[in-house]
Amino acid sequence: MAIVGTFACEEDFLAAAENLKSSGFDTISLLSPVPVQEAQDVLGLGKSPVRHFSLAGAIIGAFFGFGMCVVTALTFILPTGGRAIITVPPYLIITYEMTILMGVIFTLIGFHVVSELPAWRNRPYLPCANIDRFVVVVENAADSEAARAETIIREAGAVEIQHVEDSE
Amino acid sequence: MSTFFEKLKAYSKPGYYEKFDYHWTMTIDLDRCTGCEACVVACQAENNLPIVGEKQFARSREIKWIRIERYWEGDYPDVKMGFIPMLCQHCDDAPCETACPVFATYHNQDGLNTQIYNRCIGTRTCAVYCPYDVRYFNWFTYTWDEPLEQQLNPDVTVREKGVMEKCTFCIQRIRIAKDNAKDDDRRRVRDGEVVPACVQSCPTEAMVFGDSNDPDARVTKMMKNPRGYTVLKELNTTPSIVYLKKAQS
Amino acid sequence: MFDHGQPSYAEVNKDVLSVMLVTGPRYWMLLGGTMSVAAIFFFMPWIYQLFVGVGAAGMNRNAVWGTYLSNFIFWIGLSHSGTLLSAVLHITNSQWRKSIYRSAEAMTLFSLMTAVLFVMVHLGRVWYVHWSFPIPNQMGLWPNFRSPLMFDVMAITTYLIASSIFIYMGSLPDFAAVRDASTGLRRRLYTIFSFGWRGTAREWHTLGWAYTFFAVFVIPLAVSVHSIVSWDFALSVVPGLHHTIFAPYFVCGAIFSGTAGIVTVMYCLRKFLNFERYIGQEHLDNLGKLLILLSMIWSYINILELFGSWYGGTSFELEALKFKLTGFYAPLYWEMILFCAFVPLLMFSRKIRLSWNKMLVVSILINIGMLTERFIIVATSQPRKFLPDAFGFYFPSWIEISITVGSFAIFATLFLIFIKCVPAISIYEVKETLKPLRRNA
Ligand code: SF4
Ligand code: SF4
Repeated sequence: MAIVGTFACEEDFLAAAENLKSSGFDTISLLSPVPVQEAQDVLGLGKSPVRHFSLAGAIIGAFFGFGMCVVTALTFILPTGGRAIITVPPYLIITYEMTILMGVIFTLIGFHVVSELPAWRNRPYLPCANIDRFVVVVENAADSEAARAETIIREAGAVEIQHVEDSE
Repeated sequence: MSTFFEKLKAYSKPGYYEKFDYHWTMTIDLDRCTGCEACVVACQAENNLPIVGEKQFARSREIKWIRIERYWEGDYPDVKMGFIPMLCQHCDDAPCETACPVFATYHNQDGLNTQIYNRCIGTRTCAVYCPYDVRYFNWFTYTWDEPLEQQLNPDVTVREKGVMEKCTFCIQRIRIAKDNAKDDDRRRVRDGEVVPACVQSCPTEAMVFGDSNDPDARVTKMMKNPRGYTVLKELNTTPSIVYLKKAQS
Repeated sequence: MFDHGQPSYAEVNKDVLSVMLVTGPRYWMLLGGTMSVAAIFFFMPWIYQLFVGVGAAGMNRNAVWGTYLSNFIFWIGLSHSGTLLSAVLHITNSQWRKSIYRSAEAMTLFSLMTAVLFVMVHLGRVWYVHWSFPIPNQMGLWPNFRSPLMFDVMAITTYLIASSIFIYMGSLPDFAAVRDASTGLRRRLYTIFSFGWRGTAREWHTLGWAYTFFAVFVIPLAVSVHSIVSWDFALSVVPGLHHTIFAPYFVCGAIFSGTAGIVTVMYCLRKFLNFERYIGQEHLDNLGKLLILLSMIWSYINILELFGSWYGGTSFELEALKFKLTGFYAPLYWEMILFCAFVPLLMFSRKIRLSWNKMLVVSILINIGMLTERFIIVATSQPRKFLPDAFGFYFPSWIEISITVGSFAIFATLFLIFIKCVPAISIYEVKETLKPLRRNA
């Protein structure tokens, strides 16, 4: 069972989040219509691992780009314009573009991996969380725990509390 | 794997073209050229050049792989007219070749600048990059009225719309000569064995064609003529055609 | 930023989403109109040209490149401001970016698509265009990575992919808003598009990081794309094109015309989608100042280009210069100088800068000037190359003119479809600029 508490203002929402966290609830989700820096701090989200994906993508892209040019030039030797077959300056331009392309694609993959999206299954969610409400979700709580979580949320000043099914 | 690295080393510097088997070269003696345009007609017949018609000609869409450029010198009444036959210079450092995204034009092992019609996608970049304006584009698919299609040269493709074309140094004749040389168990084509259509038809023998890798060839000797020069030398395209200046009296 | 009072959070959702969800007959008529103009003016002449050959256009032996290519540069240029500006302003954390960037990025995407169409129209044998992509094939032949056109293929593909991802990721939370506000098929579609976005702190955190990285990648990319387009010209030896200044010249011109394009698009959004509340005078003021700056850089580079040609002093360069400044197309050249160098100076006046109608006129004039700039680059250089015998002249045929007109309709069609598929203003980022939902705020 998941407890879903709705808040109308940010402070109450943050207070609830902090209290839940300090009383040992780890599976909480903090839903908000706009990014809230403090909520991210409560969950201890520092530097995102997405950045490793970006770096890896850029490096792979650079090698791939230059490698593609060299290998394709060598598989079929076609001299043009008196230039060398492996002409470095033009290949660097291709390398540059491939660096960016791969960087972007890997960042996209990184986003999906880290944020665990796409998630098309049913998850506790209230549409108002995307408009002007802040929502705290405590998932997979046992009955006794659930009651404790509910009290914390109510004390923080929730305008509404619901019990919904857990994620499938 | 080792061959890969050998290749890497061999091909990362320019200059491989010095090792060409043949280096086909032409000299054109402007002192002998009378501007009769026999070469233009010969090329037209040999290479299946389309006749574009009056209307397209007026829009400067004619296809003439070799053309006679006319220049006037001096002021009236003391005017002199000069001619320069202009055809693809088969540049060793051809600006047109690097421009093609699909390798439709490249340098072959004979030092020729080739154009592969089947590969051409018609970006026309090569024509812009060529400083000599000798590349011609097929704006339409041209046809030959009966019975003119009977006179098409079977050794040369007929081009369709959307591809670029230009002088090939009559590559079909070079091929035949090389094949004959191979059949005779000779190692090389003899001097004078390949004669392009324009050279063949020149009544004053202003043009000489041959392999400049062969020190005894006529063309090599002609190239050493002090009157020799190449057009637009300052662009460093290193053309394969050497013009001989008009002798001054 | 909000000229007519601050909206509430819920109102932002309502205002922006109603544009998507409520469609009147006027919209369908407009869409039908632009689609038919696109079909009649763009696609029908193009199909005709495919059958007869590129000779249907006005190009000839001396000028093998024509309006198709100049329009290609124009549309690429127009695409330059959206994503680039959005990314730069994201990195510098500017607040005024937030309500305009979505449509600016859409502009990037659609002008890029139009530009790609022009390459297709330009090609002699477009049915073999796949040969210019590095696709493994039975011939064992690869494209020529030494060719400036290949740089173009790679750069534009990258730009197209990167800016699509950029705009998609930026809209992700808004797709969720659409999902929540709709029913039926649309709801199911937007559930898929939004990847099941819930707006948890973790998701926001990851999106923020990823988005910043996209922005970091996109800035150097956008600069490189137009430099590469300029190298198509500058890497040739043609007098009048063979200038090292071309890359900055093109990049600056691109951002210039793109920013003017943003002003035009902003005007339409405000006028027809009732976004008066979100797009205000602050935007106009900032964009106006940016335009003045860009126009002055542009003028400076233009002077440098003329100086370079003159100082070079070769007869070829001088001949090309003479043709450009005094030849048949000289009136167009001076028109371009008037529209792009002098008209923007009017914006020094605050009155003009803050008036929507006047800014619309200025922005359209700038883009007319930029369209002719590209035309002049293409049409005055090739007919004056090296050999006087090959001097020629180029004038566009009616097919080229019609296709040029049609391309604007294609852009408009794509944009009209866009405003019904994606929230034209970023909902969540506008909310960030509102008063936060705090008790004491
Ligand atoms: S003359 Fe022109 S077409 Fe011929 S090789 Fe040189 S650049 Fe290429
Ligand atoms: S060498 Fe052959 S193809 Fe070239 S101009 Fe002469 S006849 Fe024409």
